[in-house]
Parts: sequence; C-alpha cells; structure tokens
Amino acid sequence: MTMRVISLNVNGTDHSVQVGPLDRLIDVLRDQLGFKSVKEGCSTGDCGICAVMVDGKLVNSCLMLASQCDGRRVLTLEGLVNDLSMKRLQGSFIANNAAQCGFCTPAMLMASWDLARHKADPSEDEIKVAISGILCRCTGYYQIIDSVREGCKRGTT
Amino acid sequence: MQEGDHLSEQISQLLDSLREKAERGELLYIGENIVRVDSLEKVLGNPVYTADLIPKGTIYAKLFHSSIPHGVIKVMEIGGAKTHPGVLGVMTHKDIPGLNESSAVLPDRQLFADSMVRSTADILGAVVAETASAAADAAARIKVEYEPLPAIFDPLEALKPDAIKIHPKGNIARQMKIRKGNVDEGFAKSHLILEKTYRTQFQDATPLEPEMGLAIPEDGGVRVIGSMQSPHHTQAAVAKVLGLPQEKVRVIQAVTGGAFGPKSDETPYDVCSTAALAAVKYRRPVFCGMDREDSMVMHTKRHPFVISHKTGVTSDGMLLADESRIVGDTGAYASLGVFVVVRATFHTVGAYEVPNVKADSYLVYTDNTYAGSLRGFGGPQAIFAIESQMEELARRLGIDPLEFRLRNMLVPGKRNATSAVMDSSCGLPQCVEKVVASSRYREKAARYRNQTGSVRRGLGLALLMHGNSLGPEGNDYGAVHIEILSDGTVSVGSGLTEYGTGAVSGMMQVASSVLGVPLSRFKLERPDTSKHRESGPTVASRVIVIGGNASKLAAEKLREKILPLAAEMLKTERNRVAIADGVAFDRLNLSATLDWDDLVKEAYRRGIGLREEGYFMAPQAPWDQEIGQGTPYLQYTWGALVAEVEVDMDTGYYKVVGVHAAYDVGKAVNPAGVLGQIYGGTVQGLGYAMMEELIHREGSVVNPNLGDYYIPTSMDIPQEFKAFIVEVPGPLGPFGAKIIAEPPIVLPGPALRNAVLNATGVSVDDLPVTSEKVLMGMRPQQAPRTA
Ligand code: FES
Ligand code: FES
Repeated sequence: MTMRVISLNVNGTDHSVQVGPLDRLIDVLRDQLGFKSVKEGCSTGDCGICAVMVDGKLVNSCLMLASQCDGRRVLTLEGLVNDLSMKRLQGSFIANNAAQCGFCTPAMLMASWDLARHKADPSEDEIKVAISGILCRCTGYYQIIDSVREGCKRGTT
Repeated sequence: MQEGDHLSEQISQLLDSLREKAERGELLYIGENIVRVDSLEKVLGNPVYTADLIPKGTIYAKLFHSSIPHGVIKVMEIGGAKTHPGVLGVMTHKDIPGLNESSAVLPDRQLFADSMVRSTADILGAVVAETASAAADAAARIKVEYEPLPAIFDPLEALKPDAIKIHPKGNIARQMKIRKGNVDEGFAKSHLILEKTYRTQFQDATPLEPEMGLAIPEDGGVRVIGSMQSPHHTQAAVAKVLGLPQEKVRVIQAVTGGAFGPKSDETPYDVCSTAALAAVKYRRPVFCGMDREDSMVMHTKRHPFVISHKTGVTSDGMLLADESRIVGDTGAYASLGVFVVVRATFHTVGAYEVPNVKADSYLVYTDNTYAGSLRGFGGPQAIFAIESQMEELARRLGIDPLEFRLRNMLVPGKRNATSAVMDSSCGLPQCVEKVVASSRYREKAARYRNQTGSVRRGLGLALLMHGNSLGPEGNDYGAVHIEILSDGTVSVGSGLTEYGTGAVSGMMQVASSVLGVPLSRFKLERPDTSKHRESGPTVASRVIVIGGNASKLAAEKLREKILPLAAEMLKTERNRVAIADGVAFDRLNLSATLDWDDLVKEAYRRGIGLREEGYFMAPQAPWDQEIGQGTPYLQYTWGALVAEVEVDMDTGYYKVVGVHAAYDVGKAVNPAGVLGQIYGGTVQGLGYAMMEELIHREGSVVNPNLGDYYIPTSMDIPQEFKAFIVEVPGPLGPFGAKIIAEPPIVLPGPALRNAVLNATGVSVDDLPVTSEKVLMGMRPQQAPRTA
C-alpha cells in the first residue's frame, strides 16, 4: 500500500500526516493527531457520533477517507473550547442533564453548534432535524433538545 | 438570639436560608437538580473512555467467531492469518493457561470454543497484530471446517422431550414456578376465561460505545481498563482465564459509553480476558475492542419470550385466576438469563391482584446467539404479555380498560403474585391518576370510540410494578468509602459503577447532603479493584438504593468525627453545630461560622483520620423456591403510562403522538436525573415496541449493524411527552428513594400495542408492532370497522 503525505488544517493548526489509501479521517484525527472527542460507534455512517466539520460542513469522519481531506479545514470539539457559542451550548447541556453516558455528546454539540451558526432561535422541529443524524441511546433526546434550544437562544446576544 | 451585626446582610440571609434547610432535616441537597459530577468532562469531549486511553506501543486483538450455529470444529486453518503482514499471532483455546471459561453464573460457556460450537456468537479465538486493521484483515483469512450438527432455533422445539440436546444436561437452563391459591377453583368460578399467547423479539441494547478492553502487563500480572458495569466480576473472570490469583489482575472501569445490561454480563469478560491473555503472552499493552457488528453478534441480547396466559374473570371484571407458561430463549448460553427468567416470573401478573396464580417458566437453550442482561431484566416481556391480556379481557367484557384496571390493580393492602402484601409505599394509584388526568384519558377514550375516518386515534394504558433490589438474583450489598482530602475535597470511591444513568452522582449527592458540603467539592474515584471493595454487580438500578445507603453510612461516620471538632472550634456544643454549603455554624449563634476548608485543615493538623467506609447489605428477601411465594423484593417502583397513537387505516402506518408517564420513585434524589431516565428509558422502550428486532436466520444475525437494525432517532420521538414524578417513600432506599433507571423501558411496549388495538381493532401479539403487522391485521376486514 502506498502511503502519501497530506496536509490538513485541524482546529486552526496545519498538520502534515502520512496516510494510506484506506485510512479514514477518524483514524487520522484520533490516532495520529489525538483528537479523542471524535467517537466511533458504528463505522458505517449510521450513528453520526464521529461527526466533525470539514470546510464548514458536518460530516461523518468514519466515512471520509483521509486522503480526501488534503488541503481542507477540519474542526472538532477540541477546536471550539474557546468559542462563545460552543461554551453556551456546553453550559446548557450540563444544566439540562443532556449528557448521560456522554458518548454522543461531542457530536451532538458539533451538530448543535452548526445549527446555532445558522439559526438564532431554532424551532423544536429544526433542532430535531439538525441532530437527527446522530444517535443517542441514553437520553431519549428531550433534554438534548431543551439544551440546544436554550444554548442557541442565548447565542443571539 | 440572632446577632447579625457583624455580618453583612447578604451573608446573614444566606445563613438563614441554610439554617432553615439544615433544621428541616438532612435533605439539604436531596431533591434538587444538581449538576452531575461527571458532566464537565463529557461536554469537553475529554479522553476518558477505554479507546481514548490506548498508550503508544499497543497491539490489537480481533476476535473471530463461528459461522455456523451448531457443529463440531474439524480444522481451524490459521496459517493464512499468521503470515499476514503485521500479525504477531493467533490465539485459540490452546493459548489459555487457566480455565477456558467465560461465564457469569452457570459454567456453560468457553472463552474460545475448543471442539464444538453452539451458536454463531461462539468465539474461536483472536488475531493479535500491530494495528487494528491488520488484525481485522487477518481474522477474515481464518478458515474453519465444521461438521455441522442439527440445530434448534425455536425455544418451544427445544423444550420437547425428544429434542437434540444443546448442552449435555439438556435444554432447560432454569425452571421456576409460582403457586398461589388454586387456579382450578378460580377458573371454575369464572364468567369468562381467555387464553392467549404473546411473543417478544431479540432486542439489542446498543450502547453507543461497544465493548472494549485494554490490558497492560504489570508486575507478574496485568492491569485491565475497560468499558463495563461490574469490575470485580470481570477481575474474577480474567484471573480464571489467566490462571492467576485475583490480586494479580487489577481492573479499572473506564468511563463507560452506555451499558444497559450486556456490560454487566459476559461480554466484558471476553474482551478483557482476550486483551489480558495477549498482554501476558506478548508483554505489550493490548487493546481488544468490538466493532458494532462484533458487538451485535457476540454480546448478550434481550431474550425473546413466548408467554401464554389463561385468565379467568367474573362478569363484573374481577380477576380470579391466571395461569401462565413463560418460555425464554437464552440462545446457546445461560449468562445472567437464569435471573432474567426469575424476575419475569415474579412479574407475570404485573401490577394486579389475582387471588389464584400459577406460573411455570423455563429458560431454554437454542442455537441462537445468546441473550442475557438487558435493562428491565425480564420485566418488558412479562409486562407486555399481561398488559396485553388485560386489554383483551376488558374489551371482551365490554368494560373500559381503565376501569377494569382500577378494579384489579394493586393498592395498599392487596397481594401481588408472590402473596407479598402491598404496604403504604405503593404509589400506583397516584401514578394512574396523574397519567389519566394528563392524557385526558376518559374524554378522549369516549371520543375515539366511534371513529370512521381513514386516520384514527387510540389510547393505550399499561401499569407497572417493578421489584427493587436484587432479591432472588443474589445478595444485595455495596460498599462506599469516602475520604476527605487535606484540601477539603471529598473523594468517593466504590466498586459500584457509573455508565450514564447518573446514579453514582446521586449516591454522592446523598453524602453531600449528610455532610453539608456541596457536590462541586466532591470527586469520584474511578472504580478500581485494587482500591475498592467488591460490591456485587452494578445492575438492577441498585446504585441509588444500595450505594446510596452505603454512602449515607460513610458520610454519617465522618460527620460524627467532624462535628465535635467544629463544636470545639466554634466554642459551642456538639448538638448546636450544623454544616451547610461548606460552612459550619452554631445554630443558635449565627455569627459563629467556620469554613469547611479550615475545619478539615484542623482535623489534619490533629491527625484525625477522615476516611470511612459505609457498607450496606439489604435485608434478606425470603421466598419459597417450590411455590414462588414470599417477599422476593424489598420494595417496588410503580408506574403508569398512556400512549396515544394515530394510525393511517389505509397503510397501517402509525405514529405515537403523545406519551404520558408517571413513576413513583419514592424520593427523587435528583429530579432532572430521574426525568432523564424516564425519557431515555421510554424512548428505548418505544424502539423495542415499534422497530427494534435483531433478526436471526438459521442462527445467524442478519442485521448486525445500525443501518439495518433501527433505533429511535430524534425524528422518532413523540411530539408530546409528559413525565411525572410521584414520591411515596419506600422502606429501603436512602430518604425513601426507589430505583428508576430500569423501569421506564417496560411500559411503552404494551401501552403502544394497546393504543393501536383501540384505534384499529387489530391485536398485535408479537413485538415489535410494525406498520406491516397492523396493515395485515386490518386487511381481512376491509370494510370500515365498527367498535
Ligand atoms: S462511527 Fe461514523 S457514523 Fe457511526
Ligand atoms: S448520552 Fe449516551 S448515547 Fe447519548
């Protein structure tokens, strides 16, 4: 298998990494670069908990080949620790008991953050659609939806 | 008496409110929505789960399993895998230095099958390689030749006397019965007798993090870090396989990404033992993780049950007798299923008083993949059957299903199936009242009775009795130790684990309340077999009750050490001192206050040890094995649920438009946490009711992935969900608390099934209630239905 070097920007920092043709973005993020907030729940694109932003779009990092990310910008939860809108969402998740086992939480936060960028005051249906690609087995979603509504709302100020 | 002069008004007010709280009793932080101790690390995405902790230099073990349901292993060709690039070796039963066993109760399952396979979930061995992908690629190259044996997939077939034997001792792993009164006499007096059979399916627990284990060689033994519910049981299992004394195996529970039962069963043994075997053999850290497909094939599932009820009632709708036959398919191995069938049997007539009860139940081996512990633990199957039966009886009697239930349900003074007398802690009537009012049941049920349109609505009701404590499942004990560190931090440790429910946080909240120190000053130690005492399995939602009591005891011991010191420092008497929000004060002289940190510092200076252990063992729950009578549970959680559905009569497509659920939790230690369990459990229960079915074909799981096995998404949840907490204190838990994590998964199935029945007239007697089954049920009728 031929390895090649790609360069990608993760959370604002440029990285050059060696990847094989079958290496996935999730492997590069977790194993090579150490961004462990990205979780793997199915490896088949069905659970969404590996979601990250690539060039401003939410994607499942288990379905994207690393080599497809050459020259692109990737954002994970670690890259948003100082982002005001993310902090509001995180606070709201804590206050509303939205993280039980926490395994879906980083992806839920990424999807919510993506929604908050576009919508200041999303409706319940908009929130449901925004997080519909991400499974949560613990919460039944209600407390997550409350958190997103609250977290987005305060994000308008 | 009050001398507020020296204090700013603000502090004085704060102290006032705290004093009031402290004087009201111990419930300082109980009943408040407290931020869980572990929520920060979760929203930050910190690396706390097993797969996040893999050190550099780790090698990977990939399990491989049987491809046939029953047969003799002839040849295992591992050469191709061994020479695959990056592969270090292939481990099989020959590499096990200790006992080749990986079982929780009955010693019926090997870690790596040596000569015979009984299901496609039987593990044959593991490939060990430098990378995860090399291990997986190599595992695919292993070729096994079998001599197939006839296989059985239907538990009723397996029960037949001439059935082939899956295990040498036969196909019945556990039998159980209930004999209360005399059913024949009850049937003789009955106006109506109804006999019906109900079936349930395999459900997959689907914790979003599959099973994972990491083993690191360490002075003559091994340290294991894994995703699990019961670290001490895993320690025993790993030590057995390695042939090492238990103290050479140290097991630490990593933060666990959901569990729901399988992680208390045998699967964590498999991944942890395999990682440990390889770690010892290759002297390197080893990670053994299941991917989703591995997990859905190889871990334990919810048992399918076939439950037949014969029930007799009077003409005015009083239950007289119920005879049930309960058959659970445990697949090829018993696992914790031996207790699942016991719990199902005790709940066979659910939340009703039936004077004459006869139940015979069997946990049966088949060649399906194995079933075991899963949230609800036999409750969902038993209650689906009896609540469906109640609905059918009410319809045949022409009595409103609610009225029928009200006449027969358990209230204080009545006796359940084991003849236990319900005491004043039975909050079932209050639960029913809540959901009936909230759903406007009476008004809507009347309105929906004569619908004719192509879209129709229906209401379905189901009631819950859920025995608390392990009862027949084993001794119910737990230890919690609490240490106050020199900086004032309160460190709590226990072998009882957290895997998402928040129960451990609740257990700490109890200590927080006793000590008067806010939860923000608390720290949770990771459960570690080298530090914490064996506390039994973390199952049956028992952390809050057993762990809560142990935590309360430990905190009380510490309080006894701290209060005299505080009294001395405050120059007052011991019984005048209270601590609230980290401030000790003289109740009768509020100007005298003392900061928690200073108090702790002084204790350290004087060498007062601030580490205590609380140990709580629940009282015995005596019952007679011969007749299944007695008090197998020490208290009960009660619940009621109304589901409202809307059905398209042309296609059978339906959706749940509303859920109204009320649970008597005794005392809600953390109400937001309780609601989280109600929401989460209900949605998981709706998945079970509507869409989830792990399908076996000739013993192979055909949908072991989340593309073909659906679990609810945010788009599937009911628009309206009204949840109510009822608090009728129980005798066992701290402050009257009852368990809540398990119960909410039970009622959605029967309530939804009954709602569909009331909307369409179609009885779906086998879960899940798919639109297809509803349509098939309506087809023969064609013409508009009249109620
Ligand atoms: S792990 Fe990527 S979608 Fe599930
Ligand atoms: S909190 Fe456990 S999967 Fe969402």
